[in-house]
Amino acid sequence: MAAADSPSATLQRRDLCSRGIRLAGKMRSDVIDLLDTYVERQGLDASASVAAVEGVPVAAAERWDEQTGTQRLLENLAAYRAFRALLAQMLEEQREQLGEADAVLGQALAAVLLQVSAFAYHLEELLRLESRGTPSEEGAGPPPPPHLGLFERKLRGLGVLRELAQWAVRSARDLRQLAKPSPASSLAPSPAESP
Amino acid sequence: MFSGWNWVAHGLYLLLNICSLEVSGGLVQSCGHIIPESPVLALGSNFTALCILNESCLDFGNIYANQIIWKIKNRVVPREQYREINRTVSSVTFNDTSSLGTPLTCNILADGQIEQNIYGITVTVGLPPEKPKNLSCIVHQVSKLSYPMTCTWNPGRHTFLDTHFRLKYRWPQENFPDCIPKDVNNSCKITDVQFFVNLEVWVEAANALGKAESDPLVLDPIEIVKPLSPHNLSVNSGILPTVLKLSWENRISAAVMKLKFNIRYRIVGDTNWMQVPPEDTASPRTSFSVQGLRPYTEYVFSIRCMKEDGVGYWSDWSEEKTGVTTEDKPSKGPAIWRIIDASHSPASWTVRLMWKALEPFEANGVVLQYEVTVRAKSSLSSPPQKYNVNTTNLTLKLPNGTYEVTVIAHNRVGASPPSVLLIPASNSKAPVKNVRTLPKDGKLWIGWTAPNSYVLKYVIEWCLVSSSSDCIIEWQNEPGNVQGTYLKGDIKPFKCYLITVYPLYADGQGSGQSVKAYLQQDRPSKGPTVQTKKVGKAEAVLTWNHLTVDEQNGFIRSYTIFYKTIDGNETAVTVDPSKTEYTLSSLTSDTLYTVRMMAYTDEGGRSGPDFTFTTQKFGKGEIEAIVVPVCLAFLLIVLLGVLFCFNKRDLIKKHIWPIVPDPSKSNIAQWSPQVPAKHNFSSKDQMYPEGSFTDVSVVEIEADDKKSFSEQDLKPFDLLKKEKSTSEGHSSGIGGSSCMSSPRQSVSDSDEGETTQNTSSTVQYSTVVLNGYRDQTPVQVFSRSESTQPLLDSEERSEDHAGGGDSTTQGQQYFKQNGGQDETNTDRPCFERTKQITPANKGDLVGFVQLQISGQSSQPLGLGLEKNTQEAALSHVLQTSTEGQTVRPETVEGNPLSVDEMPKSYLPQTVRQGGYMPQ
Repeated sequence: MAAADSPSATLQRRDLCSRGIRLAGKMRSDVIDLLDTYVERQGLDASASVAAVEGVPVAAAERWDEQTGTQRLLENLAAYRAFRALLAQMLEEQREQLGEADAVLGQALAAVLLQVSAFAYHLEELLRLESRGTPSEEGAGPPPPPHLGLFERKLRGLGVLRELAQWAVRSARDLRQLAKPSPASSLAPSPAESP
Repeated sequence: MFSGWNWVAHGLYLLLNICSLEVSGGLVQSCGHIIPESPVLALGSNFTALCILNESCLDFGNIYANQIIWKIKNRVVPREQYREINRTVSSVTFNDTSSLGTPLTCNILADGQIEQNIYGITVTVGLPPEKPKNLSCIVHQVSKLSYPMTCTWNPGRHTFLDTHFRLKYRWPQENFPDCIPKDVNNSCKITDVQFFVNLEVWVEAANALGKAESDPLVLDPIEIVKPLSPHNLSVNSGILPTVLKLSWENRISAAVMKLKFNIRYRIVGDTNWMQVPPEDTASPRTSFSVQGLRPYTEYVFSIRCMKEDGVGYWSDWSEEKTGVTTEDKPSKGPAIWRIIDASHSPASWTVRLMWKALEPFEANGVVLQYEVTVRAKSSLSSPPQKYNVNTTNLTLKLPNGTYEVTVIAHNRVGASPPSVLLIPASNSKAPVKNVRTLPKDGKLWIGWTAPNSYVLKYVIEWCLVSSSSDCIIEWQNEPGNVQGTYLKGDIKPFKCYLITVYPLYADGQGSGQSVKAYLQQDRPSKGPTVQTKKVGKAEAVLTWNHLTVDEQNGFIRSYTIFYKTIDGNETAVTVDPSKTEYTLSSLTSDTLYTVRMMAYTDEGGRSGPDFTFTTQKFGKGEIEAIVVPVCLAFLLIVLLGVLFCFNKRDLIKKHIWPIVPDPSKSNIAQWSPQVPAKHNFSSKDQMYPEGSFTDVSVVEIEADDKKSFSEQDLKPFDLLKKEKSTSEGHSSGIGGSSCMSSPRQSVSDSDEGETTQNTSSTVQYSTVVLNGYRDQTPVQVFSRSESTQPLLDSEERSEDHAGGGDSTTQGQQYFKQNGGQDETNTDRPCFERTKQITPANKGDLVGFVQLQISGQSSQPLGLGLEKNTQEAALSHVLQTSTEGQTVRPETVEGNPLSVDEMPKSYLPQTVRQGGYMPQ
C-alpha cells in the first residue's frame, strides 16, 4: 500500500476512478444504444427473457457493500475480461453472419469492445496502484464457446449486452466507492452503500 | 526534381545492365562493375565508389585500373579524386554528395584514345526525415456517437526522397492500426476514438535514409473534443416584458461529457452581440431565461457549448433564433417643442406643438395616442385643455400669454411619465453665446457657450435653407449640462442649414441664437450671370444677381470678374460677395469686351456665362459738344438768312413771288357798269361778249413760229401733263399764291425746266398787275407778264378732258384765272381752278394767250364748265368772301401807268383795287 499512500498515487487513483466512472457511464449508454440496435438487427424481441448464459459474469452480488476495494476491482476485472472475450466472439460471429453489410452493428460492437478493454485497463491500473498484481488472463477467460445454434447465439449475445449494461452500473458504483477519500474505504466498505 | 533524375538514372542503369547482360550473354564481355550499386546518399555526406575491372578484360584488352576515367553525366571527375587501389580497382571519392550527379559512370581509355564505358550507377541524394513537430489533435463530434480525431503535425524539411508518415496511437495495453495520411504529409484522421482512456499518439516519418518519430502525445480524447453545437433552439416570451426563455437540445450525451454554455443575443438590426454572463450558464442545462431585455424588442439568440470543465474546444455557434419581448408602458415622455406664429395677430398666437415619437426602447410598445394638456399659467382659474391626438403635432390658437404644455404617450400597457414644456410670454431670459458649428465624422456638430444661469435643457432647431422650398423646422433636445452636440437628422452635404439654439430655464426661455452652416461645402453649381447696366467709353457698370442658396453649395467667399478683349489678356477683379454691381474702368473705347464672373466658396469657384459688350466710341458729352455748336451754327445761319430775306423781301417777292392781284377783290362794276353784276353766262356770247374784251394782251404768233410753238412749247406741256398724272398737285398755276410756289418754280422743278424756259422765252405773255389788291396801293401797271402759266392751263385741260388733249394743245390759247385766296381749297389742286376754254370758243379766242377776267365774273365761267354741282356752292363762297372784305371802289385814274412802263402789246386798262379789270 505504500504506493497508494503517495500523493501522486492518490491523485492517479482518483483520476483513474473518475475517468473509470465516466467510462462506465458512457459504456452503459452505448450498450443501451447497442442493445436497441442489436435487437433490431438480429430480429429479436426487446422484451425477450434471457436465461443466465454460461460464462457471462453476473453483476448482482451478495453483500456487495462488504466487499473490499480490491475485491471489487478483481471482480470487475474478471467480469470485463470475460466481456471482452464474449464481445470479441460476438463481433466475429456477427461478421461471419452478416459480413461487412451491417457495419453499424459491427462498429457499435467494436466500440463497446474497445470500451470494455479500456475499462479493464483502468481496473488493472487501479490494481497496480493497490500494489496488487494483475491476475493472469489465462484461466480467467470464458470457457470455449459451446456449439450453439444461430438463434441461441443471438440470445446469448443479447444476454451478454444486458449483463454488460448491468455491470456498467455496478462498476460505476464500485469506482465511486474506491474514489472516496478515506484510504480505509478499500478495506472497510461503508455499510450504507449497496449495489 | 530528384524523382525525375532518378527515373533518368534508372533508365540509364537498365540500359547499362542490358548491355552488360548482352556482354555476359556472349555478345560483349562485361569488363567491370561499380560498388555500391545505386546508392541513396545523404546530402552533404562523403561518398566513395569503386570500379572493379574483370580479370578477363585485363588480358584481353590490356585494360588496367589506371586507365579508368570517372564521369558524372558527361563531365569527367577530376583525377585528384581518383585512387588506384590495385590494377583492377579504381575508386573515386566525393567529399560532398551535393556535387554528385547521376549517372556516375566508370569509363576506360581503350587503345590509347578511345573512351569506352565500363559501368554506371544511379546516385540518389536526399535527406533523412526530420522529427515531426507540433503534433496536436482534436476530436470533432460529427454525430451523437461519432467522434473522429484529427491530428496534425509539422513534417519538417523536404527530404527529396519518398518519405512516409504514419500516425501511431495506442493504449498502454493495446495497439491500434496506424493512421496513414492520404495525399498529405501533415495530418491524419482517426475515425473513432474512445474516451476516458489515455491515448498515446505520435508520428513516425521514414524514408531511405532513416526514420524519425515525434514526441508522443498522451491524452484522453475526451479532453480535446469540439462538440456539436446545441440545436433546436427556441425562444419564448416570458411573463415579464424583459425576459425571454431559451430552450435547446444538446447533441452530446451527458454520459460523454457535461457541458457549459455561452448564450449571446442582440437586437434585430444591431450588429453588436451581448452575452449572458458565462457563470450563469456554466452548468449542464437545456434551457435558460435571459433577463434584462428591453420590452417589445425583437432579439436574436445563439448558443454554443463545451466541456463543463473548460477542457477542450467550444462548439460552433448554433443557428440564430429570434424572439420578441412583450410590451411595457413607455419609459419616458416624448420630447416636446413648439413653433409660435404671432404674425397674424399681436394679441394671439398660433402655437404649433411638436413632439418626438418615442424611440422603440422608450415606447416599449405601440404608442396608441398622445394626451396633450395645455394650461394657462396666467389664469389659474381656467381649467386646462386636454387633447388626445394620434399624430406628433398639434396646432392651437392661444391668447398671448404663458402656458404649460404637458404631453403623455399611451400604449396598450400604460402611460408614460409626462413631458412638460413652458411657453413663456416672451423669451426674456439670457441666450446662449458664441454659437458655432463644425463638421465632424460626417455629422454636423454645433457648440455654444452656456449662459450663466442654470439651464434645464437646450432645444436646437434647424432647417434646410432653400429657395425652392420652405424652411421645414427640425429640432432636438439636449440636456442642460452639455455645450455641444451633433445634429440628429439627415444632414445633407452642400446644403445650407440655419441652426438656432434656445436655452430653456425652469421659469422661462432664452431667445434663440442662430448660425448658418454646411456639413460639407462644394463649388457653386453655377456662376453668376453678369450683364452690363451701363456702358461708357472707358467704363462699364456690371450687375449680377446673387446665386440662390441652392446654387451656392457653400458660403460665397468672393466673386471674381474676368474680362478681356478679343485678343487681349484676361484681367481678373475680385469683388466682395455682398456686392451686386461693379464698375470696370480704364476700358478701351469702341472695343468688344468679354466678361464672365466666378463665385467662390471654400471649395472652389465656378464661372458663369460669358457676356460681351462694346464700349462706346464717344464719351458722355462728347456728342453734345459736337452737335450743339453745329445746331447753333445752323440756326444762326438760318436766322441770318431769314433776316436777309426779310430785308430783301421786296426784291425777293418781286423775283420769286410776284404779287398777284386777287380777282375776287376786283370791282368790275365800277369800272364797267354796263356789265351785269350777276354772273349769268348762259352762252358763249354772254360769256365772252365782244364788248367786254376791252383790255387784252395779244400774243402774236407768227407763222414761222408755229412749228416751234407746237413742238417746243408743247413738249413741256406734255411733260407737265405726265408729271401731273403721277403727282397731281405738285405743279402750280398762275394762282401760285394758293399753291405757295411760283409758276416758274413749279415748272423748273420738273425735268423739263429748260424746255419750259425756252417756252417762256418764245411765248410772250401779257400780265396785268394790279396794285389794288387788298392793302396794296392800287397802281395801274401794265407790264408784260412773265408767267408761263398757259402751259399749265393746257396741262389742266388735258387732264380734265382725257382723250382730247391733242386738240386742245393745238389750240395754244388758254385762259388763266386766279381763284383768289378765298377760293383756296387745299384739298384740291390749284389746277382745278384753271379752266379750259371749250373748243367752241377756240376760234374766237385765237390770238389770246391769256384772258384774265376780274372779279366774280370769272368764277361762273370756270366752275360752270367744270362741274355744275359746285357752282352754286362756290359762288356762294365767293360771294360770302367778297362780302367779308372791305371793298373800296377806287378808280385807277390816280395811278396811270407811264408810257414807258406799258408793254407794247398791252392795251391800257383801268384797274381798280382788289381785282382785275377785264381786258
